[in-house]
Amino acid sequence: MSDQGKSTIDSKLEKILFSVEKPGRYVGGEHNQVRKSWESVETRVALVFPDIYDLGQPNLGLAILYDILNQQPDILAERAYSPWMDMEALLRENQLPLFSLESKTPLNKFDILGFTLPYEQIYTNVLNILNLSGIPLLAEERTAEHPLIIAGGQACYNPEPMADFLDAFAIGEGEEMILEIARAFQKWKRSQAPRTDLLKILAEIPGVYVPSLYEVTYSSEGTISGVFSRIPGAPLPVQKRILSVLPPATTRFLVPNVETVHDRISVEIMRGCTRGCRFCHAGMVNRPVRERNSDEILTAVQEGLDATGYEQVGLLSLSSSDHTRILGIIQGVYDQFKDKRVQVNLPSLRIASFSVDLMDELKELRPGGGFTLAPEAATERMRAIINKPLDEEVILETARTIFEHGWLSLKLYFMIGLPQETMEDVQAILDLARKIKNIGKVVKGNRVRIHLGIATFIPKPHTPFQWYSIEDSRSLQSKIDLLKDGTRKSDIKMTYNPPDSTLLESWLSRGDRRLGAVILQAWKNGAKMDAWTERFDVNAWLEAFAACGIDPDFYTKRQRGLDEILPWDHISIGVSKRFLMTDLRLSQAGKTREDCRKNCFNCGILDAFGSLKPSDEEIYWGCP
Amino acid sequence: MNNNPPVRVRVKFAKHGDLRFTGHLDLQRLFERALRRSGLPLRFSQGFNPKVRLSLASALPLGFSSEAELLDFWLDEQVDIPLIKQNLDLALPNDISVRQIELVSNQLPSLQSSLIASEYRVSFFPEGEPQKVAEKLSNLLDQENILFTRRTKTVNYKNLILAANWLKTPQGLDLLLRMKSTPDANGRPDELLRLLGLTPGSYQVCRTALIFSPEEMREDG
Repeated sequence: MSDQGKSTIDSKLEKILFSVEKPGRYVGGEHNQVRKSWESVETRVALVFPDIYDLGQPNLGLAILYDILNQQPDILAERAYSPWMDMEALLRENQLPLFSLESKTPLNKFDILGFTLPYEQIYTNVLNILNLSGIPLLAEERTAEHPLIIAGGQACYNPEPMADFLDAFAIGEGEEMILEIARAFQKWKRSQAPRTDLLKILAEIPGVYVPSLYEVTYSSEGTISGVFSRIPGAPLPVQKRILSVLPPATTRFLVPNVETVHDRISVEIMRGCTRGCRFCHAGMVNRPVRERNSDEILTAVQEGLDATGYEQVGLLSLSSSDHTRILGIIQGVYDQFKDKRVQVNLPSLRIASFSVDLMDELKELRPGGGFTLAPEAATERMRAIINKPLDEEVILETARTIFEHGWLSLKLYFMIGLPQETMEDVQAILDLARKIKNIGKVVKGNRVRIHLGIATFIPKPHTPFQWYSIEDSRSLQSKIDLLKDGTRKSDIKMTYNPPDSTLLESWLSRGDRRLGAVILQAWKNGAKMDAWTERFDVNAWLEAFAACGIDPDFYTKRQRGLDEILPWDHISIGVSKRFLMTDLRLSQAGKTREDCRKNCFNCGILDAFGSLKPSDEEIYWGCP
Repeated sequence: MNNNPPVRVRVKFAKHGDLRFTGHLDLQRLFERALRRSGLPLRFSQGFNPKVRLSLASALPLGFSSEAELLDFWLDEQVDIPLIKQNLDLALPNDISVRQIELVSNQLPSLQSSLIASEYRVSFFPEGEPQKVAEKLSNLLDQENILFTRRTKTVNYKNLILAANWLKTPQGLDLLLRMKSTPDANGRPDELLRLLGLTPGSYQVCRTALIFSPEEMREDG
């Protein structure tokens, strides 16, 4: 399988494409795709999103890395995605390896495979892709003939469950690291040193974690008793990388020839969030807040639209209305694009009438459809626990303003299964949704539609809630039943996750490296495309846990001790464990902390990265 | 809003290579975006959600190439044809080749409503065994009805096939088909070939002509 050249793939591929659903997923050729000659460069990188093209193609992180790598004259970057089931079957039947879209080169011919791991349910797809490419799954079984296999992305802040399969992880922001890794690779390759040397060189790059250079020991209870680096060059802890100033926005987006989940350009207007919601992984790991300035945003939108012909732009951040210049940006976008029939998405607005004003400023540029608010919890007690303080009056007032400004459809996001949550807190979700519906009725009449999105809380690493156990499925189910029953009676639409469907994320997100064996066994049991609810097979996983002699409840149904060494403790996000513990205690006392851009709570970010903070007042950091 | 009468531009183009795997709706989106990139003074549709005004003559089945597709789009003002061509060539992917551009009257009926037939050329991979196909096809054509079940409805290919001829080529035998292409009677070579027991991937289809009047059919017999 591994010796197949490009020409063989092309003629065989040609034939199987006639038999698969949506063959345009597998052929590339998008506008702005970069094609370089294989021989003209020293190093070839395949950037891989381990799910299907339709989901992976719009990923902003990979678009940025693709752009950065291809700007280097001596490096080429191509792309690959998971094939859908029908295509996978035909690849295997025809003994074809998985290939890159640009040159249709088998992945095992590349020097480096860079996976993005945005969430945990994608892990088995990584194994499947390596297998389809004829590459040994276990890092320790790979030799100098195999590509270097690395990963980055939001799930990598706890890399341990995937430690067996990846040679190295890039922790944090990858824009600079990816080139440092590529350069280190080149140096190593020229030296013809053994592969173990490559791993040592990589470990010296700040932010790079090479799991095989660390040893983990366990206590008799199964908890971690220690993490040790095997060589002096492997740092402990490994600190994430950040950029002090957001790099220039990528604007040469690929324009797919088949429909994807987000057909638009994306411009990141701000990185990080100062709100400090205690359940929020993204809010903790992406600190500090750094803004892109207005002129740069407007220029990027213009260039992106010109380069792609897209008619939609998403202005991305974790909390759009918190950008200090957001009003000016929106007015600027409106003035510049009002004649161009462009739609502007402004997601992640906080609950305040200011957010409605912002959407109003977009006037005819805003997409049709509903408004979205995410109170996350429906009682003030619960909102204090999660540190999303909001007066109910403000929620109702914001909803009223939304209806008064003409929106007829309102989507409300809540979580269930939060720490200390009672049935009363869940009942309050229904009550609040009904109150909002009634306001809508008074303002707009019977055309008003309320949609309740119910997510299940999953404790995430590096957050103040990282020590909590998850609620058991039966109890969650009774909460869901209460909501289902109530929403049906009130003619409110509701979407939710069945309790079992979130188990995988719960197990893996706070897992340790012993879960590598479980992931491997689950994949052997047929687990893949686990992020697809209808594909997810909980039994494949439960059987894998059993076969490996590992109790899944150890990872989820166990309150962890504050003195316990957590599997991700040797990965530093800059926020200190001491800060997270204090925040946990405040939560348990029902106390909140305000937005930290007004008042620094010494989370540790400035200790870790304060020296990078620009002195230029024009480059805004959220830290005072 | 521009009150000038719109300028209607008709583009004949070929679609080949990997773009064979881009379907009809995706092709419409592709043109919309390419036209936006072209910088031409486009006419947009009216309404809350204005779109580039464009119209393709006929949906080309997924996997087919074509030498003869037609697109109409509208401009706000007159632009020289060579300049339109130049801008389109720059904006379009390589697998679409603009063959011809003309300005046509707004009075002409829509492309979709005036199309009556399409011509196709089918070439076979060795396992397609064109000799056998030729035999089977002539038997099939002798039958009184040639029924094919398309999702829930049954279509009769006896009424859809207007001509079927074989052409000797250096590579072997190609099948030339002329089939009806109207909104309520549309023949598809892949369906006919399925009736003959061929699997997708054992042949390739190229649309060679779109036919808008009976005269065109008589011309080339």
